[in-house]
Amino acid sequence: MANIPMLQQLQGYLQLTNQRQQLIVSNMANVDTPGYHTQDLDFQKAMQEVVNEGSARMEPASQEIAGLPERPDGNNVDIDRESLLLSQTQLQYQMGVQLIKAEFHKLLTAIKEGS
Amino acid sequence: MGLFDMLTISGTALAAERQRAEVTSANLANAETTHTDQGGPYVRKEVVFSATSSSPFRTVFNGVGRFAQAPGGSVELTDVVNDTTPPVMRYEPGNPDADKNGYVAYPAINPVSEMVDLMGSVRAYQLNASAVNAAKQMIQESIDILKTT
Repeated sequence: MANIPMLQQLQGYLQLTNQRQQLIVSNMANVDTPGYHTQDLDFQKAMQEVVNEGSARMEPASQEIAGLPERPDGNNVDIDRESLLLSQTQLQYQMGVQLIKAEFHKLLTAIKEGS
Repeated sequence: MGLFDMLTISGTALAAERQRAEVTSANLANAETTHTDQGGPYVRKEVVFSATSSSPFRTVFNGVGRFAQAPGGSVELTDVVNDTTPPVMRYEPGNPDADKNGYVAYPAINPVSEMVDLMGSVRAYQLNASAVNAAKQMIQESIDILKTT
């Protein structure tokens, strides 16, 4: 599978969306934790790395998001932002899965029609 | 790191919010309790939430330890603490719990703020339940790759 570059990139894409989804889920889990700050990853930069090198070399570092207003208890989780990103990332993941399925389907067609 | 870690993280949040709702319900139920085993009126309880560290080191360490700890970014209920607000004194000379001046100590619990707290924990529970659903759908989609078309 690794010798099909398309699949390799899609695999990196799925890993990335999955990782981002996990950060969003932790933000949601800590919506009531005092002093917690929203974490996210630089999706564009990490995806660039996947495209350039085939797959991410290491797990992209999560970072705090600037510009979110802080509540009096020091928490700055914005539920609307997280809900929106949850659906968005879920759809991105779904798209990646569909593309992988299409790639395998092509392979299957080549095997079947080749004889 | 993995799809199932998402479920674990949301699971810790569901547990924490449920425990918070339990503590709040106990506060509501005992808003008028003047007599406890420890003596004196019921003392209002509050929960303490804390986030587990999501440092890269811990993430790698957890991967080696195989489910030894909750994944980074989970939420934990670390403590249930007593509210230190002094009790409210009401003049009720006929009450068996009254002191020699006729005052009874009632817990300093405001039912309205407890209700608001309860609603907050219910909403946070719903939010995390929808995150569980999202994780479940993602896992299901990954399984669907295996299906031949």
